[in-house]
Amino acid sequence: MAEIRLESLTKRFGDLVAVRDLNITFPSSTVTCLLGPSGCGKTTLMRMIAGLETSTSGKIYFGDTNVTELSPSQRNIGMVFQYPVVYRGMNVYKNVELPLKHDKTVSKQERKERVESVLETLELASSARKRLDQLDNGTLQKVAVAREVARRPRIILFDEPITNVDVAAKTQLKLALKRLSKQHNQTIIYVTHDQTEAMTLADEIALMRDGEIVQRDTPQNLYDNPNDRFGGWFLGNPGMNFVPHEVYKNGGLELTAPLFTKPVHLTGFNIDHKLLVGIRPEWLQVNPTETAGYVPAEVVQRAIVVGGQYLLTLRVSEHTLKAKVPPTTDTTQIRRGDTVWVRCPLEHVSLFGQDGHKLDASFTA
Amino acid sequence: MTLSSPSTSSSSPKSSSPKSSSLMIATVSFEHVSKSFGSNVLFDNLNLKVNPGQFNVILGAPASGKSTLLRLLIGLDKPSSGRIMLRGEDVTGVAAGQRNIGYVPQTFALYPHYSVYDNIAYPLRLNRVPTKEIKPIVEQAAERLSIADLLTKRPDQVSGGQKQRVAIARGIVKNTDIFVLDDPLTGLDFKLREQLFDDLQQMQAELAASFIYTTSDTLEAQMLAQTIYVLDDGHVVETGDFEVVFEQPQHRSTTALLGFPKTNMIAGELAAQHVNCSSFNLTVQLDEDVAEQASSSVDLAVRPQHVVINPNVSAGGAWLMSPATITLIDNLGGEVVVYLETAEGSLLAVLPQAAATNLSEGEVSIGIRPEHITIYDQHTGKRLGQGTSQASSTQTSSQAASLEEVDRG
Repeated sequence: MAEIRLESLTKRFGDLVAVRDLNITFPSSTVTCLLGPSGCGKTTLMRMIAGLETSTSGKIYFGDTNVTELSPSQRNIGMVFQYPVVYRGMNVYKNVELPLKHDKTVSKQERKERVESVLETLELASSARKRLDQLDNGTLQKVAVAREVARRPRIILFDEPITNVDVAAKTQLKLALKRLSKQHNQTIIYVTHDQTEAMTLADEIALMRDGEIVQRDTPQNLYDNPNDRFGGWFLGNPGMNFVPHEVYKNGGLELTAPLFTKPVHLTGFNIDHKLLVGIRPEWLQVNPTETAGYVPAEVVQRAIVVGGQYLLTLRVSEHTLKAKVPPTTDTTQIRRGDTVWVRCPLEHVSLFGQDGHKLDASFTA
Repeated sequence: MTLSSPSTSSSSPKSSSPKSSSLMIATVSFEHVSKSFGSNVLFDNLNLKVNPGQFNVILGAPASGKSTLLRLLIGLDKPSSGRIMLRGEDVTGVAAGQRNIGYVPQTFALYPHYSVYDNIAYPLRLNRVPTKEIKPIVEQAAERLSIADLLTKRPDQVSGGQKQRVAIARGIVKNTDIFVLDDPLTGLDFKLREQLFDDLQQMQAELAASFIYTTSDTLEAQMLAQTIYVLDDGHVVETGDFEVVFEQPQHRSTTALLGFPKTNMIAGELAAQHVNCSSFNLTVQLDEDVAEQASSSVDLAVRPQHVVINPNVSAGGAWLMSPATITLIDNLGGEVVVYLETAEGSLLAVLPQAAATNLSEGEVSIGIRPEHITIYDQHTGKRLGQGTSQASSTQTSSQAASLEEVDRG
């Protein structure tokens, strides 16, 4: 199977650096999602891997083969785009079969088996004889996926394949993609701006910003332990809270206000006066009554969000925090304008420097 | 006009804006408004009264007529019959330019040959605001929407998200008390939307004006609405304080449109206060105003947060139990949405990520508390009643996981 290795890969469009000096290996038989906001360089990177875009400098390897100078067809990879690329004049079966007919190494019997197997996995078997103009956009996209998967290329690239299908088809395609990725051990690169898609489908997420990969990690690690405030902000709905704290020398280093009532002792990093305390909205604890170890906060706003939880916008001194709390007898009473008490559990806190990088510090109450 | 309007209560934390006399002027209402395009009847005798000085959100499915409603209000379209009242006066025959409404259209509709500054300043110049007064107003609006550094650029030099901010800035510079926003966040990426939720709420609070905002996205409505109007099939089927409507929907369309993930609907037949489903029987407490019905096709609505995977049934209370297969787990980061196949069809459950670490695709059992099921008439959409704890099942299981029960301590 084929890993994808990038060496000092760079792409410039005039003054704009779309992809900046990337050195990274996407391991064989894994699904890596390239995730990031529009303009972060994820599509340009995918197009360079596909051979649809030349690189300004650097090299691309599939396994041990340097493919940097090879054309897209010589690279022998599968590609699925935002809009389904299919032949409208043929039925579903023939669409999926066609690329295999050109492959002389595949026997007639194997061809049949492969087509039937992939139609089964994608729940297209009942539509096999249907003409494409009878199908909706979501099903067409499934056909496009089936065509690429049936060829069994070592590498398949997906460019936002479910962005333009309706909600029901999105779920079906996600399901199908999960099944497929487990079946054939292909190396998959999947481009998306949608964090839920990435968190759901990826073995690993490569989070991109301004042409660089900020962090590559498993979805849950990236969510729980972002190495940069960008990851904390980008993932999550809403993203992580960041609250500046002054660091004091008091024997060792410590910080207190505004989020803590007692000093938090820090070890293992060099002081730079200020740092950011990062905590996700779902880990803040909120009480409507005064509680020891909790700091007072004013409720600026309350909304009902995912699964009926309350999203509270809170002011703690001059800082704004978001807290996501389940609806309980206590939290249901909380109103805009109320004072509530908030605790920031240390086990869910990450510390970031003023440059946004995570600090490798340990801390205790 | 149909249906129950639950009394507008003041229990919502969002509904605390002061109602001074100046705000009362900013009234908006549709009175017996009908609108047809040829033989296509979009609205038939629609009535809608906006809550002055509040964030009013009209929620409806795509193509339910939301944009047309706003076009009637600002005067870009005329009703076939009925009247539109603004600030206590009938404006049905008044030209758009005379109605003094701030307007953010769904499409950006920016002038391509004007700079961002001139686009934002346009409505002010149209209203003959003196030039030296225009500058601070434009700059303040641009500052508020984080586009101050784009003022000299042309629309084709800025991104889609920035264009939308320019359109919003242009919509809010007018010195008025009524602002109309037609689905302005559609198509923007979710991080940008997250920030604009805060900006829009803050703007509405600062201007203390009547905001009238349309969307088909439940999360936008949930983030923004003080008062909600649910538009379905040419009628406002339900209106009132957002949280009251959210917690106690009186109409099937409200339940279907409000809430993320989407409310589960299970079809059933109601007979003598019982509904028999494939895997459980439910006893129904009918609402007081509902006449005893011999039999009726109903929908059982249950929110995904009330579908509990492997519930701890020994903890007491009645549970309706059903075997289920998890087909997909969608990871939202803080929460997961679980797709289930059951004898009742496909269902959704939602629970905190922290409570879902042991979940994977495969067989589970699910439990629903009878009182978390609301019954709606399939034909009229009207709420009929809710489940009660008289029917129960006796399976036991551990590792219960739900948004309400997990201990996050």
